[in-house]
Amino acid sequence: MSCHISSVGMGRFGKRPEGLIELAAEAANLALEGVGRKTVDLLVVGSMFAQGLHGREALLPRLAGRLGVESASGLRVDSSSGTGGMAFHTAVLALESGRFERALVVAVEKMTDRSTAEITRDLAASLHSSEVAAGATMPGLASIVVQRYLQKFGLTTEVCDLATVHARSMAAANPNAHFQKSVTAAEVAASRPVALPLRLLHCSAISDGATAVVVERGTGPATVLGLGQGFDALRLVDREDLSSFVATRLAARRAYEAARLTRKEIDFVEVHDAFSPFGMIHIEDLGICGPGESPMWFEKGWAARDGRVPVNPSGGVVGRGHPVAASGLAEVAEVALQLRGEAGQHAIAKSPRVGLAHAMSGIASHNFVTILGRSGS
Amino acid sequence: MTAPETIELARCGSCQARFLPGDGPCPRCGSADCGVYAASALGKVLAATELHYPASGWHSPHRLALVEVADAVRILAILEGTLPAPGAVVEVRSDGAVYRARTEPSR
Repeated sequence: MSCHISSVGMGRFGKRPEGLIELAAEAANLALEGVGRKTVDLLVVGSMFAQGLHGREALLPRLAGRLGVESASGLRVDSSSGTGGMAFHTAVLALESGRFERALVVAVEKMTDRSTAEITRDLAASLHSSEVAAGATMPGLASIVVQRYLQKFGLTTEVCDLATVHARSMAAANPNAHFQKSVTAAEVAASRPVALPLRLLHCSAISDGATAVVVERGTGPATVLGLGQGFDALRLVDREDLSSFVATRLAARRAYEAARLTRKEIDFVEVHDAFSPFGMIHIEDLGICGPGESPMWFEKGWAARDGRVPVNPSGGVVGRGHPVAASGLAEVAEVALQLRGEAGQHAIAKSPRVGLAHAMSGIASHNFVTILGRSGS
Repeated sequence: MTAPETIELARCGSCQARFLPGDGPCPRCGSADCGVYAASALGKVLAATELHYPASGWHSPHRLALVEVADAVRILAILEGTLPAPGAVVEVRSDGAVYRARTEPSR
């Protein structure tokens, strides 16, 4: 049974005065208005911090009441930073079961009202308990991954700077992105150290924001062609190779098989670059280029809007901002906007037929790949 | 002369994988048939970093290293001392729930 994204709703990502429910409702109402407020019979909501930081245990009924969709069934999902990807997959699987006709998927996070140390501690909850016990943080472990990647291919940190320059350049054309200004490689290299080689401008920001999509039975420009998930060892020391993410490779292989497509038929991608050099690893793991080749894509402009395979035309996680649960759904939403011809200033140069969204949980312990396109692509 | 320092590593009785003991089964094949053995506590730093923004409850400077010990087993250790370059030899010890690595081994 086919299903497609019929509407996308996004507010601006960044530092917002609104609370969690208001942010979620803003995106959800935009998505519902896009389908003329037709009845939805399933509400899927994802948020990583709603319970811990905000005490919003009853997120689903609160949001259902706020939106006037109390007649729908409800599901809540959590897969840390991959929550948005999981929320979308959950809705599609429910529709494909034949039990539902139209789903509203909402992913939301409110983060800027908390201290960096609190957010850092709570984000580390997606790591292995032994890593948390050692005081590891997401940037700390990401630094180790990036060092291993650079070592393996004999690269210097300048390639990481170029990945950030690309992300911020893309975001500057996206009115909903947290960051509206481009940066130079020199500015990235001069930014404050976070966990070297990672500096502040290599790392995603703490952001507020929400994304919503309506997904329903049938076909359209943004039809679901294939889904795939993959796990990897949660404890980094149990992984044989840190220069590549098994969870992405597995998820991509399954999604390509489900879509009966190869990587060569992917016109553009949205990947989960929580740290800008992760974007390089992701496009290699998706097969867009070979191992160690991705820096060339950022150097030569092949990842740009008019490049061979545009990467993160929304600005990605580093440029768009990172309300953690919302990011995975924002990746899916961006692919839908591009395919539906609704991306406005951040539209890629060529009219695309097939796009791929990639979401990552923690340090790539559970990843999601979604392939959307015109039915029959 | 004192005996060389050792740490405990785990070996899977089913697939023979060597790994860091933890709270679960063999990370490669899932077998619960695992035992421990003693190995040298000296290891090679694969990567190391200083966390300039530690999580709440931790203080700067907080340094971590990925260390490879015998049988290519890897350990995430809290670093004591200066930040070593990749390839440096460190001595690892188990300390309750964590591992610590000294950048200047005692021998």
